[in-house]
Amino acid sequence: MMNALADTWHIVVRGLRSRIRMPVFIFMSLFQPILWLLLFTQLFEKSFGSMPGMGDNYLQFFTPGVVVMTVLFGSAFAGFGLLMMMDMGILSKMLATPVTRVSIIMGQVIAAVVVSIIQAAIIFVIAAIMGVHVATGVPGVLLALFIVALLGLAFAAFSNGLALLVKRQETVMATTNLFTMPLMFLSSTMMPGGALPGWLNTVRHFNPVDYAVVGVRGLVLEGYVWSDLWRSLVVLGALSVAAVIFATLMFRRQAE
Amino acid sequence: MSVIETKSLNKVFPGDVRAVDGIDFQVNAGEIFAFLGPNGAGKTTTIKMLNTLIPPTSGSATVAGFDVVKNPAEVRKRIGYAAQDVGVDEQATGRENLTLYGHFYRLDGKTIKQRVKEIFDLVGLTGYEDKMVSTYSGGMRKRLDLAMGLIHQPQVIFLDEPTTGLDPQTRAHLWDHINNLAKTMGVAIFLTTHYMEEADRLADRIAIIDLGKIVTMGTSDDLKKSIGGDVVTLTPCVQKDEECQEFIRRTESVLSGKPFVTGTKPADGELAVYVKDGESAIPSIMQLLGSQGIEVRTISMARPSLDDVFLKYTGRTIRAQEGARTTFAQLRRKASRRQK
Repeated sequence: MMNALADTWHIVVRGLRSRIRMPVFIFMSLFQPILWLLLFTQLFEKSFGSMPGMGDNYLQFFTPGVVVMTVLFGSAFAGFGLLMMMDMGILSKMLATPVTRVSIIMGQVIAAVVVSIIQAAIIFVIAAIMGVHVATGVPGVLLALFIVALLGLAFAAFSNGLALLVKRQETVMATTNLFTMPLMFLSSTMMPGGALPGWLNTVRHFNPVDYAVVGVRGLVLEGYVWSDLWRSLVVLGALSVAAVIFATLMFRRQAE
Repeated sequence: MSVIETKSLNKVFPGDVRAVDGIDFQVNAGEIFAFLGPNGAGKTTTIKMLNTLIPPTSGSATVAGFDVVKNPAEVRKRIGYAAQDVGVDEQATGRENLTLYGHFYRLDGKTIKQRVKEIFDLVGLTGYEDKMVSTYSGGMRKRLDLAMGLIHQPQVIFLDEPTTGLDPQTRAHLWDHINNLAKTMGVAIFLTTHYMEEADRLADRIAIIDLGKIVTMGTSDDLKKSIGGDVVTLTPCVQKDEECQEFIRRTESVLSGKPFVTGTKPADGELAVYVKDGESAIPSIMQLLGSQGIEVRTISMARPSLDDVFLKYTGRTIRAQEGARTTFAQLRRKASRRQK
């Protein structure tokens, strides 16, 4: 057990270190959400800024959506790291050592989640500079980061499991693009649930991304809406557990 | 004392591909043992069974005293492994790479620090500890890769095609390091190669492997002696067509059975003739073939090489199989690595 924790820690450090050394990568992955915040909100402010359920303005309404999107896109492609390790022979070299098997996959997943949480925090800071007021303050932001961490955990683990299942970068890329975009649009990320067409307002209740958006948005616009918060935490928590089990099983199959 | 011992080791991949087909051998402590054979012979599959990456289909193997199937965890503690692909992390320094493996082998921080210094010295990378691996040359990466399997002072090191893709100078340099390891650490080294020169230069004992089977095994000298004299190679034709085959058959029938000829073996547009004494055999051969009206294009004589040994036992040369089969076999290996 102690060995498993230590191994996981070392793999996480390895993953974080290699990402920090590619600052271009971190900048690039922050570039798009910042564009959303700066430009997209300008576009929508005039038409939708005064709609009911928007909060102070569209920027405040949309900030939780950008935070969730950043984590979603950051973690949904996490499986690439593992595929690269496989292709470069790093994985089989590791597997010939006494390293705890499950630590490799967990370390990869956790490193991806940590990076996307840091990015989410940066988005919150940028939003604050742009004048977004968070109703629950710093403790609320921390709880919001915990909610998106669960989302990130679920998608990073799923992506790693998928990578181990299909073993081809192109397939992982195509599959991930196939589900991330619809997940974003079939939710209340850009419009409040009440403003969505009826069918979409029903579909979003089967979309994990929506649970993250609703949870974080409550904290930003209103305060601690515990009924919504619990629902988000339970749904995303359960999903994370399922995804981690999936990834672990796929890895066991790989490592025999 | 043997540190590797296999008993009718088998690996059958889906589609009834017998990658390794009943292999028995032993490697002793402090010995350098080489598997020599062409690509696709089953060398990498054997290594992967011995280092616990894939389970055998049948048969058994013990490494450092532990069964690879029943006790893989104990085996892993006592082995080092460097694959054909260099498994180092480019976005990290040499020290970080080595330290990570120190942790995997459950060494404490102080021991790791001390061993890193010793091992960088051993593989000739002192001064590069804190440089990023992305700035290392191919040979330096290979040596770091080797070093990562040494930090826990293993009893056995597995090297899969250690010098493939390196230039001749770097290769010779790496050979010195590998030799040095076996001497200074007293560690057993199991290596695979398709370079005859590599097996010749490095290995105490060589097993020649083809189509998943060990065809013969012994010291380099013993194997060459098994040829019994010199090898005279005749090329009777320019093109490798039907006519050429006919020429070779005729040449063979003229020469076999003559008192100075101990054996013949046709291969790929040439004919190997094993003779007791090469210098005196050449004039006799020329005379005999001339009297039969067979024109020989080239004739050469050499002390037996490991390729001659391979030819004698398999009817093919390793030399002829490189090039033609390399790319396909490598693609297949890459594909199988992803699938397994």
